[in-house]
Amino acid sequence: MDFTLPAEDDPRRIEIRSFFEDHPGASYAQLAERGYTAPNWPAPWGISADPETMIVLEQEYARAGIAHPMTFNLIAINQCGQSLLKWGTDDQRKELLPPALRCEARWCMLFSEPSGGSDLAGLRTTARREGDEYVVNGQKIWNSSANIASHGVLLARTDSTAPKHKGLTQFVIDMKTPGVTVRPIVDMSGEESEYCEVFLDEVRIPVSRRLGEEGDGWRITLEQLQTERQSMTKPGAIWGGGPTARELLDGLIATGRIKDPVIRGEAGRLYVEGEMLRLMSARHLSNKINGRPAGPEGSFGKMIASPHGQAISDLAKRSQGPAGMIRNPDVLPLPDKHFGRFSNWDYAYWFAPAGTLGVGTQEILKNAVSERILGLPREDDPDIKLPFDRTRRAAA
Amino acid sequence: MNFNLSDDNLALRDAAADFLTNEIDLAPLLVPGSTADAIDRESLWAKVAGLGWPALAVPESAGGLGMSLLDLVMVVGEIGRTVAPVALLGTLAGTWAITAAGSDEQRDRLLGPVAAGQCRLALAAADATGFHGAIPSVRATPSADGYILEGESHFVVDAPEADRIVCIAVLDGERRAFVVDADAAGLAVEQVDWRDITRKVAIVRFSATPAERLEGGWDAAWPDVRDRLYLYLAAESAAGSHAVLDEAVEYAKQRRAFGKPIGQFQAIKHQLAEIAGQVELADVGVQYAAWALDNRDPRASLAAAMAQAYASDTYRNATHRNIQVFGAIGFTWEMKNHLFYKRARCNAALLGESAHQHEEVVAMLEAEAA
Ligand SMILES: Cc1cc2nc3c(=O)[nH]c(=O)nc-3n(C[C@H](O)[C@H](O)[C@H](O)COP(=O)(O)OP(=O)(O)OC[C@H]3O[C@@H](n4cnc5c(N)ncnc54)[C@H](O)[C@@H]3O)c2cc1C
Repeated sequence: MDFTLPAEDDPRRIEIRSFFEDHPGASYAQLAERGYTAPNWPAPWGISADPETMIVLEQEYARAGIAHPMTFNLIAINQCGQSLLKWGTDDQRKELLPPALRCEARWCMLFSEPSGGSDLAGLRTTARREGDEYVVNGQKIWNSSANIASHGVLLARTDSTAPKHKGLTQFVIDMKTPGVTVRPIVDMSGEESEYCEVFLDEVRIPVSRRLGEEGDGWRITLEQLQTERQSMTKPGAIWGGGPTARELLDGLIATGRIKDPVIRGEAGRLYVEGEMLRLMSARHLSNKINGRPAGPEGSFGKMIASPHGQAISDLAKRSQGPAGMIRNPDVLPLPDKHFGRFSNWDYAYWFAPAGTLGVGTQEILKNAVSERILGLPREDDPDIKLPFDRTRRAAA
Repeated sequence: MNFNLSDDNLALRDAAADFLTNEIDLAPLLVPGSTADAIDRESLWAKVAGLGWPALAVPESAGGLGMSLLDLVMVVGEIGRTVAPVALLGTLAGTWAITAAGSDEQRDRLLGPVAAGQCRLALAAADATGFHGAIPSVRATPSADGYILEGESHFVVDAPEADRIVCIAVLDGERRAFVVDADAAGLAVEQVDWRDITRKVAIVRFSATPAERLEGGWDAAWPDVRDRLYLYLAAESAAGSHAVLDEAVEYAKQRRAFGKPIGQFQAIKHQLAEIAGQVELADVGVQYAAWALDNRDPRASLAAAMAQAYASDTYRNATHRNIQVFGAIGFTWEMKNHLFYKRARCNAALLGESAHQHEEVVAMLEAEAA
């Protein structure tokens, strides 16, 4: 057991740091070229970085004051891009990955639908095969960044006679394809249009943009959601990113607000919880380093990290009294701005309700933890074995 | 960096688990109204001594095993997991106090018999309010051939079975540590009706009781001792939480209501999911604290206070949820659920509730920032 992080004179750190020193304000193209954008991917995309190197890189990004490309193009770099490594064709990789890693092509996820997000496998958007194309009809909603994305990872039903989980297929579509209409939805934070609705009307997708085989869609989607959750287990206020309890304490101490006994006790408790989360996500990395099977930390992590994030941003605001209710990005001093737009307590606070909704609601996560990790009996789902076209969801 | 346990750590844990699973029979404690005396603690202690557990924390120079704290928490965790009535805490507390405050000569002389399993210890450091930091209520004065003590110490764990008691007393306005033999004149040990019947806890009264003074000052020694006591309690609590979670999960799979296992109701499964997350965090917190203390990391005291705070909150919560999931049967004396429930609360109270550790954490962070 050894809880020390790679030291200042660790050769990996020296190499990374000198790159950042030689390339002040490195562009996303330079970073992608260097393999620092998706460092855990194999060459030529990444540098097959081990988890320790990933930590070092993260720290060096922060030290260099560069917002990680991940915060900019998360869906391509973290969630979905790597599906192409495993499920994609050579042509798909060559065409789609380089612009995504350079952050020239931004991606979005087209999963949820108006008729339901939690029961994702019950989605109703269809893709019917016509020669070398699929023709897609339906509606997606709550799709982050769909209004600025050039590419969308789409989950659609290719077989309505199969049970709901079995008839799904994934595609990477061009958002400029005729028949795709994107409408931004203003979320309650008002900070930006966090998400959109996307209408798909006779949208033609070449078969070459299908990911995996027909019917692989659910498996691929689950992998992507798992990867996404994994990345949300850090102790930051906004889905693992953004300010942490450590920064909350620093800010409360710097402003003297820590002297308020009401704030103080709660701050201590949240600091401890944040540290435990930080340790758990480090243990998770350690499991990877040691080649142990991925532990349950990912699902646990998000289940605890999301409400933790809500609680720390809440305390940051409450420490201000009524002044906190005025739009104010500098609620408490935040020295580390490397999370870009997330480095902001005000944003974290008004974004908070989303924390336990997106990427599986808190309720769905607890179902996953109790069923897959604790082995408790599964929810009743009367539709699960029926052909999809005979379910109530399909009829509704 | 490597946050995983080694094979040696795991072997130690498995050996302790095997021993306790075979040896511990809680049945006598589950007879309604029974007390700590219901168990044959002496023969259990003899077996524990045979395994060398009293020597775990004794430095090698004094004939002990000088084991790392990470290894130690492997064993302590198993005591927590099985709520074993093993009286190790008092001996460890005394060992740590003598190691921290004794001279080299005192350490070797006093701890040799401990390592050999011939001497059990207890640490008397709290006043009637349970507070360990204050000026103790025991006073020491020099005598012809040493010191004599006057006053009383409270909440002294394992005192009724101790052969020697390390007592914190005031001498010339300063806190110092003294060692008293259990059969010394003027020493009275009065067992209290401690709710955790897997432990014995006592008030210790001194009346012109002869004592030996440990050479080092107690103010300098106490933080080391406190950190280790936090670690001990946290390790028991984290593993105990895991045990009550596992039992509740098993029960939820078996017990049926409205035609299905209760584990299929979200009101049940979601409670258990939350506890599972907390148990995971408590466990990693304990291991981090053990590592930090072993390596004299600058954040070791912080890590120990954090582990105790988080693990004790988790244990209190998990034991309550455990009884809730079991329903009324979980509220009976005949089930062992209450042994965990009581130990969780007693562990949390012994060195101060989590709110106290949260305060210590904030104070340490303020000092760091200053
Ligand atoms: C900020 C943000 C960004 C998002 N980004 C994207 C994106 O990029 N792409 C995308 O496809 N989607 C995205 N989503 C959508 C998100 O995945 C869904 O909101 C989520 O899956 C829940 O679906 P829903 O909103 O339809 O709620 P519903 O499924 O209708 O759920 C409503 C309520 O019922 C509860 N519920 C449902 N089923 C159960 C059950 N079995 N047990 C207990 N409770 C249950 C839910 O927990 C919730 O509280 C985003 C959401 C947010 C808030």
